[in-house]
Amino acid sequence: MKLSPEDQRLIHNLKPSKFSKEGFLGTDNRSFEEITTEDLRTLEKTGVPKKLLVQALRDAYQKARNTFGAEVEIKKNVKAVFHESMGRIPSPFCKDGLFEKGEVVVIDSANNLSLVITSLGINLIEKHDFFQGKGCRFRIDPLVAIKIFRLLPET
Amino acid sequence: MIPGSILFSIGISVGFLLITGLILALLLILAEKKILNYGTCCIDVNEGEKKLQVPGGGSLLSSLAENEIFIPSACGGRGTCAYCKVQVTEGGSMISPVEEPYLGPEERKNQVRLSCQVKVRKDIKIRVPKELLSVRKYKGKLLHKRPLTYDIVELRIELLEPKTIDFVAGHYVQLESEEYDGNDRVMRAYSMSSPPSDKNHIELMIRKVPNGICTTWVFEHLKEGQEVTFSGPHGKFHLSNTDAEIIFIAGGSGMAPIWGILRDIKEKGNTRKATYFFGALTQKDLFFVDELTKLQQEVPWFKFIPALSNEPANSDWKGERGLITDVVARHMPDCSKNEGYLCGSPGMIDACIKVLTKAGMTEDRIFYDKFA
Repeated sequence: MKLSPEDQRLIHNLKPSKFSKEGFLGTDNRSFEEITTEDLRTLEKTGVPKKLLVQALRDAYQKARNTFGAEVEIKKNVKAVFHESMGRIPSPFCKDGLFEKGEVVVIDSANNLSLVITSLGINLIEKHDFFQGKGCRFRIDPLVAIKIFRLLPET
Repeated sequence: MIPGSILFSIGISVGFLLITGLILALLLILAEKKILNYGTCCIDVNEGEKKLQVPGGGSLLSSLAENEIFIPSACGGRGTCAYCKVQVTEGGSMISPVEEPYLGPEERKNQVRLSCQVKVRKDIKIRVPKELLSVRKYKGKLLHKRPLTYDIVELRIELLEPKTIDFVAGHYVQLESEEYDGNDRVMRAYSMSSPPSDKNHIELMIRKVPNGICTTWVFEHLKEGQEVTFSGPHGKFHLSNTDAEIIFIAGGSGMAPIWGILRDIKEKGNTRKATYFFGALTQKDLFFVDELTKLQQEVPWFKFIPALSNEPANSDWKGERGLITDVVARHMPDCSKNEGYLCGSPGMIDACIKVLTKAGMTEDRIFYDKFA
């Protein structure tokens, strides 16, 4: 199948490049479409709306960013730290613009889970349903995020 | 087994395809040289202030660099950092799809373009800030790489070619990393912490960014005695020419421009009162405390207030505790007559602006160097 120049550019941008040293696909061999479809299906099965997940990510990012690197409690047993970084990173979907490079590391000590949230990562989920590939340091696995932010009632 | 006649046919076909491909490639190269020959084009900079004759076909960014006009760029001209913006008032072609995400409505109205994406195919007129015309590319030698904390180092670089630099305290250079482990060369901006009077050297403070291309090169590959390349000076962050009392606020490597400004004004016999709030997490994130405390003892106009936001409650720290914003608010309830100079992460700057404006400082009196 012949890819459009836009698709070719996206595939290039998602791999390790000037956009991101590590790329956005990690060790995942699936295509961009396969990753987004599967993650959305997983999210749908849980019944958690994408909007709610995005808001939880954004709230955690902002709360940690506001403390300039000091550890902050997001939920019981869930702590987050903002790591500053110089510069801005463009979205691999060029038209989305630039995002600050800082990252928030969230650690859920009760469930032994962690996530790395960036402003670009939030945008990729919100606008493109892209949670990033498995093995990528910035992947927001929907099930992991739901568990960390306690988005489902405890069973 | 494949019969010989079939193998022969396959060989002929492959050979034919190879020769055809080679001929087509040669034709393309010839066409580019002969048909797409744009001849010599003129780049008019700032309405005749400089007129450059350049071979047509190159990017505006590289054509300017070949003529020693260095527009800031961090991505090497690939249209991803958006630092290389200039005003193209005549001769710029259509805005390319690569540029679109980086140009706001106001910039489009003002004919701002990414110079790396503009091709010089005819005479072209541009406007650049005057200070960019004094930016030069420098070669230097790393004299020392000194750890200031576990994740911040200070570099002292001796200038080799040219041997001197003129800059204003608070300005920055763009340090160029070398290729390593498959990473391309990149340029990153770092403020100078040395005083402008030391024209033969520059000093930088660099904080390690996990997986950062340039900082990993600085921390793991750059050795004392090695040659380094940078361009500069760049920037708009510097002390104003008023006598308003100063509030400096910085965190981490945001110390660099403030330390440069303090050394500069001390040398010049400053009398403006200045209070410096430096925010860190714990004592192990603090540095230059001895130097700044000494400065506080030496001159009557300076006060240094370090503050820790994550220091264990039972430690021996006797100084201020809490977020730097809270400490500033406690010490400076009325900032209506002060000027603020801030350097640090975007989150810290945003929060400090809120605190200062709440205390009566107008936004036109707040100057900042955001790590963004």
